[in-house]
Amino acid sequence: MTLMLSVPLTLSNFSCYSPVCIDSSHFIMSLAAEAFVSQIAEDQILLSDCASSLAVQAYLRMCNLPVQVSYRPNAEYMSPSGKVPFVHVGNQVVSELGPIVQFTKAKGHSLSDGLDDVQRAEMKAYMELVNNMLLTAELYIQWCDDNTAAEISRPRYSSPYSWPLNHILAYQKQWEVRRKMTAVGWAGKNLEQVYEDVSQCCQALSQRLGTQPYFFNKQPTELDALVFGHLFTILTTRLTSDELSEKVKSYSNLLAFCRRIEQSYFEDSQAGSSSRGYSKGPSLF
Amino acid sequence: TVTEPAQILNYLRKLRFNADYELSARQGADTMAYIALLEEKLRPALLHTFWVDTENYSSLTRPWFASRSPFPLNFLVPGHHANTALSRILLTKSDSPLHTITEVEGKIYSEAKECLNLLSHRLGTAYYFFGNTPCSLDAFVFGFLAPLHKASLPSSPLQNHLRQLENLQRFCDHILNAHFSSHPGSPQPVQETVDANLQKLTQLVNKESNLIEKMDDNLRSSPQHKPFRADPRPSPSNSTGSTPA
Repeated sequence: MTLMLSVPLTLSNFSCYSPVCIDSSHFIMSLAAEAFVSQIAEDQILLSDCASSLAVQAYLRMCNLPVQVSYRPNAEYMSPSGKVPFVHVGNQVVSELGPIVQFTKAKGHSLSDGLDDVQRAEMKAYMELVNNMLLTAELYIQWCDDNTAAEISRPRYSSPYSWPLNHILAYQKQWEVRRKMTAVGWAGKNLEQVYEDVSQCCQALSQRLGTQPYFFNKQPTELDALVFGHLFTILTTRLTSDELSEKVKSYSNLLAFCRRIEQSYFEDSQAGSSSRGYSKGPSLF
Repeated sequence: TVTEPAQILNYLRKLRFNADYELSARQGADTMAYIALLEEKLRPALLHTFWVDTENYSSLTRPWFASRSPFPLNFLVPGHHANTALSRILLTKSDSPLHTITEVEGKIYSEAKECLNLLSHRLGTAYYFFGNTPCSLDAFVFGFLAPLHKASLPSSPLQNHLRQLENLQRFCDHILNAHFSSHPGSPQPVQETVDANLQKLTQLVNKESNLIEKMDDNLRSSPQHKPFRADPRPSPSNSTGSTPA
């Protein structure tokens, strides 16, 4: 069943796909509250995909575009680039935040029009920082750390499939991610160094944000959506240890930033969502 | 031993060598962000230009590296680098494991050109990225751009694109002149002295051979001596030359 998060406007509808088991109606995989522990075996989505997915949703909401999230176990294979999330509009399919931003810009919705060239360069640089550090760290923790991989990532990733496909797919995905980590030079790092990198990245983001409500002027841009997606997911996801979320929590302006975006853009869905919708999900309050 | 640029910088910072001392917190954050941008957008295209593009690799990069490595490493090391570069590009940039390098080329080059444009916009008319003194971001950008600027690549759309961005070229040249030209081991002045010496030697040899030719003509034209083989002997002080008995 799909989670209806759409806000009815006259603009075209966007359908957003994330790889969650088709039985689940939970958007966030997080297990922060006790009541959702029983969902572990059924939910498929992992931290990194959830973060990217949330970033795209935040961006689309910031553009005031109605978005419908639906879950498919084979979303990775449906996507044109092999990565989730992807957006299905009419007869076009666009995946990943970068191309989605360009796509919406071509349709006339853009959040970064007001920026001058230097600011746009900064924005792109910070987006790359988040991708380079936070996303890679998330992937590392999920798949290269043996504890997390065995207890959380592999069971979740393979949950919709039966034996032996679940083993094959989970190990294949793990092998792929480890190869990628080797290629970018993260394979030699240990967990402490990864946490340190996350901390430095959060420090940079915190210093850039300062006391402003958003990263640029008073209006959110795609950078805000991306940072929100990653930080919120990190904060509300329970892994084998809490150290990752503790690193983020130590920066209070980032916490306030996440709360602010959650309040502004995700609270209005409470009226229209189903009973097990987002409003019952974990929040920062 | 310390490897990797980031670790080397950390090591130097612990020894109290820090070019970023004057930067504000926000500028430090900007530094991290721009370095991430370079790594993500520019490095794949640079790797491709130097290591994967067959013309560049075979005519410039491979001979360059091979000339500095002893046997048998000169066969193994460049090939290993090239394979690492190719796998890195394919793993991080291609959308599917079945794609080949040609399909990814367009994407990485357009991203790299955009990255160069962004750097150019950020630099503007200044000499360095932050204020009047160089910092670690300047070092990183220089490290990425200087080979592209100076290497004589037979085919490189990226180099052509860089030629259109004058402020980045000026940035590279400025750092080269300010920090690399007074290096004692730099090849530039050595080359000049070698050339000058070579020139003087050539002139001396020419003078001597002229003298010897004159001597030879004199001897030939004098009738009491048998003509002998005109061997140019390198001893002009002996004016009569040695004649066979």
